[in-house]
Amino acid sequence: MILSMRGLSLAVMAAGAAAQNPVTSGTGGYVGSNACKTCHADVWLNFYKNPHFKSVASGDLPPSRTGCESCHGPGEAHVAAHGGKATIPNAFSLMPQAKALEACLTCHARDFQKANIRRSEHTLADVACTSCHSIHHSPTPKFLLAKKQTELCYGCHAGIRAQFEMPSKHRVNEGFMECSDCHNPHGAFAPTWRMSDHPRMVDQALNNEEPCLKCHVDKRGPFVYEHPPVRVEGCEICHFPHGSTNERLLRRPVVFTLCLGCHNGGASGTRNNGVPLQTSPHNLLDPRFQRCTACHVRIHGSNADETFLR
Amino acid sequence: MTAMLKRCCLIFAVCGTLRAQETIAPTPEAVGIARGGDFANYNIVDSFELGYRWRATGGSVDTYRSDVNYGDGIRLLATNLSINSKEGHGRWFDEIVLSTSGLGNDPYQTASLRIQKNGLYRYDMLWREDDYYNPCLVISGGEHLMDTVRGLQNHSLTLFPESHFQVELGYSRNTDNGPALSTVQGFDTFSSAFPVFENVKQQWNEYSVGILADWAGLRFIARHTWDFYKDDSNYSLTGAETSGVATDPTVLTSFQRSEPNHGSNPGWFGNVYGSHKYWALNARLTYNLGTGGFALNEVTTGLNSIGAAENRQVVVSGDAQRPVVAGDFSFSVFPTSRLSIVNNTAVHDTRIDGDSSFTEFDNGTGTSTTLNFKFLGVRTVANSTDLNYRFNNWFSAYAGFTDSDRQIRFLEAFSFPSVAGSAVSDLYQQTSHLNAGSFGVRFRPLRPLSINLEGEVGHADHPLAPMSDRNYHTLGGRIQYRARKLQLSTGYRELDNENAPLSFTTYSSRSRQYNAAASFALRDWLTFDASYSKLHLDTVGGLAFFAGIQSPQLQTSYDSIYISNIHAANAGVRFGIGRRADLYAGYTITKDTGDGRSSAVPVGVTDPIAALLDSVQTFPLTYQSPMARLSIRITPKLRWNAGWQFYGYGELFHLLGENQNFHANTGYTSVLWSF
Repeated sequence: MILSMRGLSLAVMAAGAAAQNPVTSGTGGYVGSNACKTCHADVWLNFYKNPHFKSVASGDLPPSRTGCESCHGPGEAHVAAHGGKATIPNAFSLMPQAKALEACLTCHARDFQKANIRRSEHTLADVACTSCHSIHHSPTPKFLLAKKQTELCYGCHAGIRAQFEMPSKHRVNEGFMECSDCHNPHGAFAPTWRMSDHPRMVDQALNNEEPCLKCHVDKRGPFVYEHPPVRVEGCEICHFPHGSTNERLLRRPVVFTLCLGCHNGGASGTRNNGVPLQTSPHNLLDPRFQRCTACHVRIHGSNADETFLR
Repeated sequence: MTAMLKRCCLIFAVCGTLRAQETIAPTPEAVGIARGGDFANYNIVDSFELGYRWRATGGSVDTYRSDVNYGDGIRLLATNLSINSKEGHGRWFDEIVLSTSGLGNDPYQTASLRIQKNGLYRYDMLWREDDYYNPCLVISGGEHLMDTVRGLQNHSLTLFPESHFQVELGYSRNTDNGPALSTVQGFDTFSSAFPVFENVKQQWNEYSVGILADWAGLRFIARHTWDFYKDDSNYSLTGAETSGVATDPTVLTSFQRSEPNHGSNPGWFGNVYGSHKYWALNARLTYNLGTGGFALNEVTTGLNSIGAAENRQVVVSGDAQRPVVAGDFSFSVFPTSRLSIVNNTAVHDTRIDGDSSFTEFDNGTGTSTTLNFKFLGVRTVANSTDLNYRFNNWFSAYAGFTDSDRQIRFLEAFSFPSVAGSAVSDLYQQTSHLNAGSFGVRFRPLRPLSINLEGEVGHADHPLAPMSDRNYHTLGGRIQYRARKLQLSTGYRELDNENAPLSFTTYSSRSRQYNAAASFALRDWLTFDASYSKLHLDTVGGLAFFAGIQSPQLQTSYDSIYISNIHAANAGVRFGIGRRADLYAGYTITKDTGDGRSSAVPVGVTDPIAALLDSVQTFPLTYQSPMARLSIRITPKLRWNAGWQFYGYGELFHLLGENQNFHANTGYTSVLWSF
C-alpha cells in the first residue's frame, strides 16, 4: 500500500511536471525532462553543467532531441511503471555495447572527430562510448570522461602505461600531454605514412601529417634533402613514440646500431638502390664514428647538405 | 535523495582514486563537495594549489634533467575554475572552464580555457611550455647541449557551434628557443667535430578559417590554413677552440654561421560525411603546398686536420617545395543491425623537390660551386575492407583485408658548373605491394567480462628499410573484468617480422608484450592499483661496415643483435584516514634485464670489433621511483599536502664509457584551497 501510494504520488508529480513543459510533453510517449528530475534529482542537480544540457536550454528542439529523453527514449512507460530500468527504452547499463554506440551516434555521427568511428579499432574491439564516458557523473571538465584521460587509456593499455614510466618518454604522466594529442580514440583517417595501413588510431595533424610534427615543427620541412624514412615510413622507424629506455626515444641505445640498419654496407659507389652507403673513412672503431648524429646533425632533413652535415 | 547523492559522490570519489601513479603534485583529492557558490545566475567552483618544490640530486644531474627535470621553488601547482550558467542563457557566456598546472617555473606548464555561449560561440585555448633538456652526446671535449624551451599554444573559435552552418577560426603557435645541438666539421668532414651551442630561434604560426555546413543529410567541411615557419638561428665562436683529440691538430680560430630558413605551408582541407540507417560515407581531400627558402653563410678560419691554415666560406641558398595531396573515401553499409561493412580507399602523393647552390670559397685561391638537386616522390594507394558481425549479445567477430601499393622515386643530381659535362643524375625507383589480413573475435560471457582475440598477417614485397614490415604477423588477446569496485585485465601481443630486402642483408625482429593489471576498491577508504608488463624485443640483422685498427676494412662477418627484456611494474595503495587525511603510497620500476649477461663484453672476446658490437647488444638498466603523498583536510575548504618521490636510474654497463646514473629525491608541500 505504501509502495503504491508512493508510486501514485510520483506519477502525479511527474504528470504535473510534464504539464509544465508544453514543448516536450504529450507526443510519442515523451514526457519531458521535468518529469525525470522529479525522481532523478541527483542527476538533474548538476545537469546544467553537462554539455547535453544545451538541448534543454535551446528550447526549440523536438522532444526526441531534448534533455533526458533524447538519449534514453520516451519516458512515458517508465513513469507509468513507477520506475525500473526495464521500462527505459534506452537504459545504457543494460544495452549491448554496439547498441550504446548506435544510440550515441544518433546525434554524434555529425561530429567530425567521430567520422571514422565505424572503422576504428575501438569499435572493432567492442569498446563503445560508455566504456570511456560517464554522462552523468564525469569528474572531468571536458568530454564527459569517466576518469582522467590517461587513467582511462591505461585501464586497457597497460603495456603503453609501462612505456610512459620509462626514463625517456613523452610527458604524459606529468600532465604536459594527453593521449589524444596524437590519437583519435574514435578512429582516424588512413595514415599517409608506411603503407597507409596501420596504425589506425593515430590522428593526423596539420591537415595530413604525423602528429609528431604538430609539436616538432622543425622536423617538418620541406627540405631540399629529406631523410626519406621520415616521409616514407614515419618517425616510428627510428623512434618509439611513447617511451623507451633509450635516450631520445630511439629504438636502440647507441645510435650507430640504428643507422647501420639501413646504411649497411660499403661499395665503390655510394648508393645502394638510393640509400647512401658508408664511405671507407667511417672507421667504426674510432669513437667519432660511433656517434653518427654528432656530425649528421640535420638527420631529419637539410637544405644545405645531402648527408645532413649542415 | 541526499543519501543517494552522497552515495553517488562517494562511489565516484572512490573510482577517482583508482589511478596510475603520477608525478607528485598536483594533489588529486578534492576538498569537500565541489558544489561551489552561486552568483547571479551562475555557479562558480574554484580551487588553487600553491606549493613549494624541492630536489636533491646525486650522480649525473644532466641525465636527471633530461629524464625528470623538476627543480626548486614556489609553484602554482594547479588551479581549476568553472563557471556555469544555471539556465543555459547567460548574457555573454554559459560556461567558462579554466585549468592550469605547474605555473611558476615547473618544466611542464599548461593552461587550458574554454568559454562558450550555447548556440553562439565556443572558444578553446590550450597553452603549454616545456623545458626540454637533453645533454646529448659527449664528443670532442665538450657536450652538445640541448636546453630549449618549447612553447605551444592553440586557439580555436567556433561560431554557431550547434547550428547547421558553423564558422571555425584557428590560430596555433609553436616556438623553440635556447641552446640546441649543432656542429661544424672543421675544414673537412673527417676532422673531429666541434661543439656548437647554437642558440636556436624557431617559430611556427598557423592560421586557419573554415566553414561547416549541413545539407541534404550530409555534413561538409572546408578549411584553409596558412602556416609560416622561420628559423633565424645563428652562432659566433668566441675564442679559439681545439679539437680535443690528440691526433687531430684542427683548431678553429674563428667561426661564424647564420642560417635563416623561412617557409610556409598553405593548405586546403575538405571533408564530407554523413550517416544514415543503412549506410554512411566519409570523404576527405587535403592539399598542402610546402615551400621553403633558405640561406646559409658559414665562415671558418684556423688549422685543418693536417695542421695547414684554412680560410673557408660556405654559402648555400635555394628553395624547396613539397606539394602533398591526400584523399580518403570510406563507404559503410549496414545491411542488418548486426553487420557493418566498411570499405576505405586512401590515396597519398608527395613530391619533394628543390635546389640548392653550394658555394665554397677555399683560402681565397679557388672557388667551386656545386648545384645540388634532389627529388623524393612517394605515391601510395591503399584499399581496406572491414566486416564486423555481431552474432548475439555475447559473441561477435570481425575481419579485414588491406591492399596497398606504394611507389617511391629518388632523383639525385649535382653538377659543377665550371666543369663541362659534369652533371650527374641518378634515378632510383621502387614499388612495394602490401597485402594484409586481420581477424578478431570478441566474447562477453558475462556483462563485466570481455575476451578479445585478434591477429593479423601481412606481406610486403619490397619494403623500404630492413626494419619495415615485410613478412609479419601479430597475435594478441585481452581478458578484462570490469566491475564497479574491481577491475582485472590481462593481455598478450606478439609481433614477428622477417625481412629480406633486395638491397640489404636480412633482418628479423620479434616482440612480445605481456601485461596484467588490477584495481580494487576494498573499502571506501582503501584502494589498490597495480600492473605488470613484460616487454621483450629481440632483433638480428646482417652487417657490412668499415672498421679496423690500422686502416678501416669492409667487415661483413658480423651481425647486429639487440635483446631487450623489460619488466615494468607499478603499485599504489591509498588509505583514507577518517575524513581527515588521505595517504597514497606508490612504486614504479622499469628493469631491463637485457640478455642476462653480467658484463658488457663477454669474457674471452678479444676481437675489438666483436667487443664493440657485443657491448651494444643489450642495455640492462633499472629505473625506479617510490613515492608517498599525504593530504590532510584542515577545513572543508582547505587542505595541506606533502609529497616525496625518489628517482633512481642505474645502467649496468656504461655505454660508450659514459656514466649517466643518477638518483634524486624530490618533494613538495602545498596548500589547496577551494570554494
